[in-house]
Amino acid sequence: MDILVLMKQTFDTEEKIVLQSGAVSEEGVQFIINPYDEYAIEEAVKLKEEFGGQVTLLTVGPKRTEEAIRTALAMGADQAVRIDPGDEPLDEFGLSKILAAAIRGRKYDLILGGNMAIDTGSGQVALRVAEELEIPHVSAITKLTLQEKTAIVERDVEGDVEVVEVGLPFLATAQQGLNEPRYPSLPGIMKAKKKPLEQLTIADLALSEDELRPRTTVTAQFYPAKKQAGQLLSGELNEQVSQLAQLLRNEAKVI
Amino acid sequence: MDFTLSDEQRMVQRTVREFIQKEVMPYEQQVLRNEREGRPGISREEIKELQLKAKALGFWGINTPEEYGGANLGAIMSALITMELGRTFVPFSFGGSADNILYYCNEEQKKRYLLPVINGERRSCFAITEPGAGSDARSIRMSAVKDGDHYVLNGEKIFITNGNEADFAMVFAVTDKEKGANGGVTCFLVDRDMGWRSEYIPTMGEWGPASLVFENVRVPEENILGELGKGFELGMKWIGQGRWAIPARAVGAAERLLQMGIDYAKTRVTFGKPIAERQAIQWMIADSAVEIEAAKWIVLRAAWMVENGMDARHQSSIAKLYGSVMANQVVDRVLQIHGGMGYTKELPIERWYREARLWRIFEGTDEIQKRTISRNLLKGHVKVGELL
Ligand SMILES: Cc1cc2nc3c(=O)[nH]c(=O)nc-3n(C[C@H](O)[C@H](O)[C@H](O)COP(=O)(O)OP(=O)(O)OC[C@H]3O[C@@H](n4cnc5c(N)ncnc54)[C@H](O)[C@@H]3O)c2cc1C
Repeated sequence: MDILVLMKQTFDTEEKIVLQSGAVSEEGVQFIINPYDEYAIEEAVKLKEEFGGQVTLLTVGPKRTEEAIRTALAMGADQAVRIDPGDEPLDEFGLSKILAAAIRGRKYDLILGGNMAIDTGSGQVALRVAEELEIPHVSAITKLTLQEKTAIVERDVEGDVEVVEVGLPFLATAQQGLNEPRYPSLPGIMKAKKKPLEQLTIADLALSEDELRPRTTVTAQFYPAKKQAGQLLSGELNEQVSQLAQLLRNEAKVI
Repeated sequence: MDFTLSDEQRMVQRTVREFIQKEVMPYEQQVLRNEREGRPGISREEIKELQLKAKALGFWGINTPEEYGGANLGAIMSALITMELGRTFVPFSFGGSADNILYYCNEEQKKRYLLPVINGERRSCFAITEPGAGSDARSIRMSAVKDGDHYVLNGEKIFITNGNEADFAMVFAVTDKEKGANGGVTCFLVDRDMGWRSEYIPTMGEWGPASLVFENVRVPEENILGELGKGFELGMKWIGQGRWAIPARAVGAAERLLQMGIDYAKTRVTFGKPIAERQAIQWMIADSAVEIEAAKWIVLRAAWMVENGMDARHQSSIAKLYGSVMANQVVDRVLQIHGGMGYTKELPIERWYREARLWRIFEGTDEIQKRTISRNLLKGHVKVGELL
């Protein structure tokens, strides 16, 4: 059972977002493994422990990403590939081309990723990779049971559960609830440094300029508007209800 | 010079921080509630359970040699880990460790004392202080008189941590009055069922030490730890280890407290503005941050010296003194920032305030550290402005 895991290093959820000349500042910020990717790593390591095989991490990110890689290796992944994105702008389209190119030629039975990255929240990259590789994909999974040549997968569909059977190899993205990610173990931490980490640049992947060209641009980044103080209604219940209806019609203009 | 931690150190730091946050801190409210009602904050079983959870991750025997199943991580890693443990007031530490001097046990003693302590089956206590000998530990009086193949112990020990719970004590007694601490003090391993009694001493802290009474307690000769007459050196070794463990815990506690102070200052409004906007409060925050930063690096430098086999005694005294005083100042300021709330038992600040006070007293008071530091300088063991 050889498993590839797509991983992204993101902002620590406890960090405060600071905008500096229109972009999110990374100065002094702590980075973590994208929490959804942690579920993917945990699932991969669990499957490896049950069925054997290798878990390989793939990530596109600058040098600092290595800390996240080492942490994932300490959790039990076997090896990692870091593709340095360089300085050119990239979007989900280009990122998926890069990852797919890095995956082609590798042996795998399953690819796991996070449901989305908590920083950009677009939830596209993993699914695009599956499309590139022309394999089936299942998003937002909460349970994965492997059979001979297929898997039974439960996925979260807006609060309901959908059960699907899918043939190997396929790609799935992890949703909260799939598992409880382990802490890196002490022996795992000590061994992490000795595990292979392959360093690639985009140039190694022989992609055309057009394949990397962003299809989207970020035009502005801004803080959400400050929440307005609420309005308290008073009086008899009947009066309050009619006041509310009035406000919804005339002020909020939603009915 | 390079202040960066290794990848492993950072990962250990982060993992322990997460473990403490997710597994140990959830007990904090329970600890406060139980202690308010006069019960122990957390039970032995709960601590054991947490220790087993950590053991499954390999966090066990942080300072214990590998041959005993420990992780033996070295001084720097221990200091970093201890700082993380200090971030909670829940009295938790990783299992699998034993008093450093128990490694002087002979093979037979190891089976009865060292290994059971490492495995959490037996509890030890370290008993040197007496009613008439605290700072001046050299003047202990407890006597051990040889009678056939036994020694007969008489005397009293006081302020012994875990003295009421321990199964056995490492007891320091005078075997040769003439020589005293210069070759006349011996350390004995004394099981409780050999006949010593203990009594709990209530203190301003949440856990209390005990006084131990020895009346004609007969201890077999084979229970001497180390060598006859070499006990005082063992005692100093034991105390030496705490000299940087205590300030490491103090750093963790002070960091957590300062964060509480900052958070509160930003939300508490007086005279129309958050108190964080007042210089009086800002200076408390700044002074605390400066002192924490200094204490942290003093501790890490002492640990670094230990790890590199250097004589760290001077640096460790500086760390113990500065770290303990720093924590007392920080907790005092954070309590002040919280005003009346800080004084209540709703928040852990007053509890930390009481606990931190001990750090300036045990394992060498402030004054004793200053005595050591100034003596090193006056006698020329250490020179001012030595090249680093
Ligand atoms: C909660 C708690 C737990 C403890 N746990 C243990 C334990 O497990 N095992 C153990 O053996 N002991 C333990 N102790 C004892 C502790 O180490 C002593 O209390 C400490 O060393 C001080 O000794 P003392 O209380 O006798 O004070 P004293 O030595 O009487 O000192 C009184 C005051 O005089 C100062 N002073 C003393 N000598 C000088 C000097 N030469 N110059 C200037 N000032 C001086 C001291 O700093 C102090 O301020 C514990 C104490 C407490 C409170």
